[in-house]
Amino acid sequence: MAGLPRRITKETQRLLSEPVQGISATPDENNLRYFHVTINGPKDSPFEGGVFKLELFLPEEYPMAAPKVRFNTKIYHPNIDKIGRICLDILKDKWSPALQVRTVLLSIQALLSAPNPDDPLANDVADNWKRNEAAAIKTAREWTQKYAMSGGQ
Amino acid sequence: MSEEDSRSSEDETSEDEDINDYYNNNEDDFIDNSDVERGQDGEEIMTSDYYSSNEYIRKRMQELEYYDYQCLTGTEVEEKLAKDTETTAELLNISPPLAQLVLLANKWKITAINTRLKLSPVERGKLLVESGVIAVLPSHFKHRTEHKKLSLKSAVSCGVCFDVFPVSDVTSLSCKHMFCRQCWTQHIDFTVKEGMNAGIPCMENDCSVLCPIDFVEQFLKGDSARLYRDHLFRISVTTHYRCRFCPGVDCPVVLFAETPKPRRVTCKRCKMSCCFECGNEYHVPTDCETIKKWLVKCADDSETANYISANTKDCPACHICIEKNGGCNHIQCSKCKHNFCWMCLGDWKAHGNSYYECSKYKENPTMTNSSQQTQAREALKKYLFYFHRWENHSQSLRLESNARLKIQSQIEEKMNRSEGTWIDWQYLLRAGELLAKCRNTLHYTYPLAYYAGGGSEKALFEYQQAQLEVEIEGLAWKLEHAGEYQRGEVENQMDVCEKRTQTLLARFVAN
Repeated sequence: MAGLPRRITKETQRLLSEPVQGISATPDENNLRYFHVTINGPKDSPFEGGVFKLELFLPEEYPMAAPKVRFNTKIYHPNIDKIGRICLDILKDKWSPALQVRTVLLSIQALLSAPNPDDPLANDVADNWKRNEAAAIKTAREWTQKYAMSGGQ
Repeated sequence: MSEEDSRSSEDETSEDEDINDYYNNNEDDFIDNSDVERGQDGEEIMTSDYYSSNEYIRKRMQELEYYDYQCLTGTEVEEKLAKDTETTAELLNISPPLAQLVLLANKWKITAINTRLKLSPVERGKLLVESGVIAVLPSHFKHRTEHKKLSLKSAVSCGVCFDVFPVSDVTSLSCKHMFCRQCWTQHIDFTVKEGMNAGIPCMENDCSVLCPIDFVEQFLKGDSARLYRDHLFRISVTTHYRCRFCPGVDCPVVLFAETPKPRRVTCKRCKMSCCFECGNEYHVPTDCETIKKWLVKCADDSETANYISANTKDCPACHICIEKNGGCNHIQCSKCKHNFCWMCLGDWKAHGNSYYECSKYKENPTMTNSSQQTQAREALKKYLFYFHRWENHSQSLRLESNARLKIQSQIEEKMNRSEGTWIDWQYLLRAGELLAKCRNTLHYTYPLAYYAGGGSEKALFEYQQAQLEVEIEGLAWKLEHAGEYQRGEVENQMDVCEKRTQTLLARFVAN
């Protein structure tokens, strides 16, 4: 596609040729700045066994501005809200042009392993997480089963 | 307004010579710096000898709330900032652009920086790391050797655009994170456009080093360079503990005070006032923290509270709060199933045929119930009590703010009818000014009273508040009915008002 910075081309090539374990990112046929992403729920987390779909978009200013990432699969997580927006510092004020799509997706995967209810986006979920972690984890597992397994949306 | 006093006090021989001189000097500064048109009708020149009658009280009042501050232009502030930067550069033995980073990170508190430096030799390094001048303490600096190796290579890959460049085309900050010039330009340009509130960081992930001005400016041209300078100036002023932008819309004046305190500062250009410390409207005797709490509470609660008091009633049996959602006045409480009349809150059984009886006024039986609802109501009642008074005075302030014009036209009328000369009526303008000032103080006693604990302190405060309230309303009345009162009567009232305000303020200003 015309005008696509070399950096994006290189990143895309590398994502396809050396994929990260448990993560896939494929550019859309019609828009090479738009990626269809899946992240497998990390082992030993309530999201284990689930396959979460995300969308990732590289804005015009990328890499000076952070990519825009959103979960398309419903997920019960204190840092991810109802419409899939993610509360992650590197997507906001801690973004650095030296970070890449790969590092962003790895960070999101890490966020699934280690939810941070002290910096919540979904307040109700974070409250439950803090008050009764066992119950919250149980709900997260149920949601994973319901929405992130065997093609559930 | 203040120029007038100083002029009149020059004529006066008073025992407070020193203080007078002090004020005069200061006020003169004020005039010198000023490029503002003053008093369209030139009242400054003509009013001078009027004020002598209240001079003494006025002086005392000034002493009490006197605050030394300046109204500076952008250039004047730039000069001060440059001087601060020089001093800090010498102090830390670094370049001025780096010193600027240290100042920005430390609210421009040179004395605090100096004290810290004297604490221990490591403090200098820590300070530089915290301010984004260097990445790690010099003692942990390992990059140096790496960098040497790097410079031996002929080509370097930029970690942002992934292209390969000759060493001459890449550059870095003190952290030695190398990136190509084009990426630096884009990064700096983008960050400046975004407002650069946290400065412009190095592009490397997790690197806390910031770009100093000389580094930034090699990459910027034209509009971006101007925007950068503007942002830098804005951030410098907002972080500077001695500076505050004038609260006036689009007013470029910077208010500057040697010792920041919660005092009234007035912009000489646009005449807007605020509290120097917090930037809210001047709020003595309430402190900055309390007024902030109060304003937040008002913004949060007042609408809700108004709605609740306007649209709901308590069930007469169980005291739960009920909102009426239909036209029928026969209400059945959904909680306790009590049937009652919305109009008179009496039992519905008594209604039947004699419905209209409830339009007759009857004393409400006093209810003593300590249920939660009653407590909530009580809390609301307490808040509303203070809020309504607060609102009331704020409305009076608004109405009286255009009183000056009204008084001026009254004076002209009187002069046209040959009732005394211009000078004879100037006390009315003074009375208007004083009224505004005293009412403002009274206005701001209410948040304080709301948060005050009980005890004798509060009792005394409320007593003083009530006294002030009486006198202020007295003054307002006499001013509105100026024709019916002698000058002496009005002046006495002014005198009393000023003294009461002073008494009330004395304790708070002292803190």
